[in-house]
Amino acid sequence: MKLLHRIRGPRLGTKIMLLGLTLLVVPWFSYRQLVEMEHLLIQGQSNAQLLTAEGISTLFNGREDLFNDLPVTIEDFESLYANPLQNAIRLDGSLEDWGEGVDDKALRFGSETGKADGDFQLLLGERGGQLYVHMDVIDPEHVYRNTEYLRLDNADHIRLSFIRADGDDGRVSIVFSKPGVTTAYEMQPDWRFASAGPPSNSVQGFMQETEQGYRVEFRMPLSLLGSSRYFGLALVDVDDPETGEIRRIVQTLPTAGKESFNLVVLRSPEVLNIIQGLGYSGARILVIDPQKRVRAETGTNVSRNEPVRKDNLLENVQRWFKSLRPWVHWIITGEQWTPARSLTEDAAATTEIVIGSSLEGDPIALRRSLSETQEVIMAAHPIVSRNKVIGAVVVEQNIDEILTFQRSALEQVILVSIVSLFAVFIALLAFSARLAWRIRSLRREASNAIDEYGRLRIGELQREMYAGDEIGELARSVSNMLSKLQQHNNFLESMPRTLRHEINNPLNTLSTSLQNLAEENPEVRDSKYLESAKRGVMRIGAIVQNLADAANLEESLEAEEREDIDIELLLQSYVANCRITHKDCEFIYRGAGRPVYANVSDYRIEQLLDKIIDNAIDFHRNNTPIRVQLDSYRDHLQITVANRGPLLPANAEKSLFDSMVSHRGRQNRLHFGLGLYVVRIIAERHGGIVRAMNLADASGVAIMVQLPRVATEDESSELHEQIVPKAATG
Amino acid sequence: MAKSIAIVEDDPDQRANYADAITKKGYVVRSYGSREEALAGFDQQLPDLVILDIILGEEVDAGFQLCRDLLARAPTLPVIFLTERINEIDKISGLRLGAWDYLPKPISLDYLAERISSLLRINEVRAEQAETESPTARRIGDLMLDQDALLVSWKGERIDLSGTEFRMLAKLVRAPGHAVSYESLMNATMQSLVTNNTINTHMRNIRKKFEKVDKEFACIKSEYGYGYRWSNES
Repeated sequence: MKLLHRIRGPRLGTKIMLLGLTLLVVPWFSYRQLVEMEHLLIQGQSNAQLLTAEGISTLFNGREDLFNDLPVTIEDFESLYANPLQNAIRLDGSLEDWGEGVDDKALRFGSETGKADGDFQLLLGERGGQLYVHMDVIDPEHVYRNTEYLRLDNADHIRLSFIRADGDDGRVSIVFSKPGVTTAYEMQPDWRFASAGPPSNSVQGFMQETEQGYRVEFRMPLSLLGSSRYFGLALVDVDDPETGEIRRIVQTLPTAGKESFNLVVLRSPEVLNIIQGLGYSGARILVIDPQKRVRAETGTNVSRNEPVRKDNLLENVQRWFKSLRPWVHWIITGEQWTPARSLTEDAAATTEIVIGSSLEGDPIALRRSLSETQEVIMAAHPIVSRNKVIGAVVVEQNIDEILTFQRSALEQVILVSIVSLFAVFIALLAFSARLAWRIRSLRREASNAIDEYGRLRIGELQREMYAGDEIGELARSVSNMLSKLQQHNNFLESMPRTLRHEINNPLNTLSTSLQNLAEENPEVRDSKYLESAKRGVMRIGAIVQNLADAANLEESLEAEEREDIDIELLLQSYVANCRITHKDCEFIYRGAGRPVYANVSDYRIEQLLDKIIDNAIDFHRNNTPIRVQLDSYRDHLQITVANRGPLLPANAEKSLFDSMVSHRGRQNRLHFGLGLYVVRIIAERHGGIVRAMNLADASGVAIMVQLPRVATEDESSELHEQIVPKAATG
Repeated sequence: MAKSIAIVEDDPDQRANYADAITKKGYVVRSYGSREEALAGFDQQLPDLVILDIILGEEVDAGFQLCRDLLARAPTLPVIFLTERINEIDKISGLRLGAWDYLPKPISLDYLAERISSLLRINEVRAEQAETESPTARRIGDLMLDQDALLVSWKGERIDLSGTEFRMLAKLVRAPGHAVSYESLMNATMQSLVTNNTINTHMRNIRKKFEKVDKEFACIKSEYGYGYRWSNES
């Protein structure tokens, strides 16, 4: 229990600040809710996508035919992938209308560097049943066909070989006699002459010269290829217009001279037809066959353009939040923050997992990141036919909206939390500081209202008196207490004066009556009773006078004038006079040996000395000297009066100087313990202190008075000469 | 013709005691219990000396008012305050009003009679001699002291002292250069209850009155622990 009492709680401000910390629960809760909401939304979208995928997959259930138009394995064939084209293509040699990013998919043929004469880049596209081909040929010395010759192989041309729908080999040469529209001929097996006279209308193209060579863009109907779509392409480079000699043939097939074909891989148009129109904004639908080939694709690109970073404040704040987020996440949820789940390498793995899982027959939905800020959900559902997985539908949708929403909500939560926390903290800080200050100042004032001896200094408080709250009430109640106490004190203080006032009149009556009585009756004039009555009157008068003097002491000290007095001389003179007035006592004086000035009222110092010396004489053992000593220190002087005799009672050191406290016992009834009280009051009024203590050898008591001294100056010594005579005369 | 003494005192016992004692000394005594009574009496005839209590019944300053009224009518009239109000401030205001003396209770009737006779004599002396040099005057250095007329002057300038102060000063200068003990100074006050403090206060007042006339005045020296001394060497 004692220990508990000793432990003190924190200060008011600390308590309030700690309470303010509970506000942290708001951002904590909001964040948890946000994370929860994000999960929910993503879960919801995953489910929706899965359902979409399932719905689409049911369209294909049992439709094996749609997936059987390709050879099961394509390892034997070098495939030429035909990109689905969004726009209608103008045959002008330019790639502008092929759509963005398509040129990255161009295939290179020829030498390793791709810069040699005869090298070309090939791009295949497919739209509306037409196969579009774009070739960028490097050929600084291109030779146009001389239309005067019938032979078609003595100038730069392009050979197409394929297997027709009817199973026959198809051979078409595309030739150009000038930049512009090309001409195509069906060729004989030796690729020299056209098999049929007129050019083929089905293959249309356009040739355009470039700095390094030329470009050719042409199209042919897919129907020409049949369902197998075996297709090969070769560039024939002729550099010498005179000889027309074939310098180089660059083929899309590695083995030259052999009639082999590439395989044109196409999106399945029928599948595409089915899923077309199912795509929605921000979503992409893919149909994949068991060989993981994309058979149809619809919908917009899921990746969005990254917003351009601006270096403004908001961006900085957002970036700051982003760097802060892992910490926030860790602090609040206790889980490691995995930013955007995974990046590119993981993205590929995720895709692999999704496709693999769905092709094994399990529907799946996973998150995949496109970039640091963008994520998509991939949902895949298998297409089943006769208990066999014949493909999968993949629905990819950007969850950018969710993430953006979550991010901005998070930013808002953090921002609002920080701002409000800050505001609340400032408010609480100010409030608690003000509260603490008010309480402290009230406490200070209240404790200053009473001095160390329990006397009231002020009768009412000034601070907080008009405050409406509890502190104001406290202040008013304390003030009320003080004023009541002051009334009581006033009563007590005025008591001696009132008493004297009230007693003096009857005393005067008594005294004058006694005198008249003696006058009237000469026979009682010498009566001892009359004398004792007179003594009694005198004693009462003295008592009342002393009491009143003590009560008035502080007041009259206030009005006292002070001068710079040489205490050394004063004491010398005083002790010399003591030797005269108290002949039965021996006095020893040890001075400071030089003038010691203090700003005092000399009568009061004399009064103080009277009381101390009286005290010393009363208590000194006969035939022992009373020692008076003056010591001068840097900023104060000390007067010590020591006598041999009875020691101070225990614990009396403090109470000795209180009013009405006497340790004399009963032998001297004229003392009321006012003597040393007067000493203390005088010393304190002069800014000094007074102490009583037993001598070190326990042979007696010393009373010490310390007074502030003033620096010795010439003019003050002159002044002193006027006031204090050099020697005492008897 | 016997001198008439007026006593204004609200307590009938004390009033009677004073009256008895003073009558025995051969004076005609008229005593009043309140301010109104006293004023009515003074309207009829002004006494030769007035003894005033300050508090009369409910009026705490009645004595001061009476003193003012009286001195307005007769500026040379000796007025003695005889009161239980012995605060310094009361004493000062009483003497400032022009009272000749201010005596605290309890009073010795013998001293009172002595004072009365001395004051009456002084008044007579003053009236006879007017401004002429008094033959009873004593000169101590720059100090001129006329015991009978209760007149003091320093370097030719008149100094107003109360009766008590005058007596103390007279005691002090009886043997210039010799210390006078508190005890003998107490006797000189002719009051029954006097402390060192009272003496100190009186001495300070006397010193101040001299200093008002002469800033360099320093003839009254303290004998700490014993009393005072008059020194002619400044």
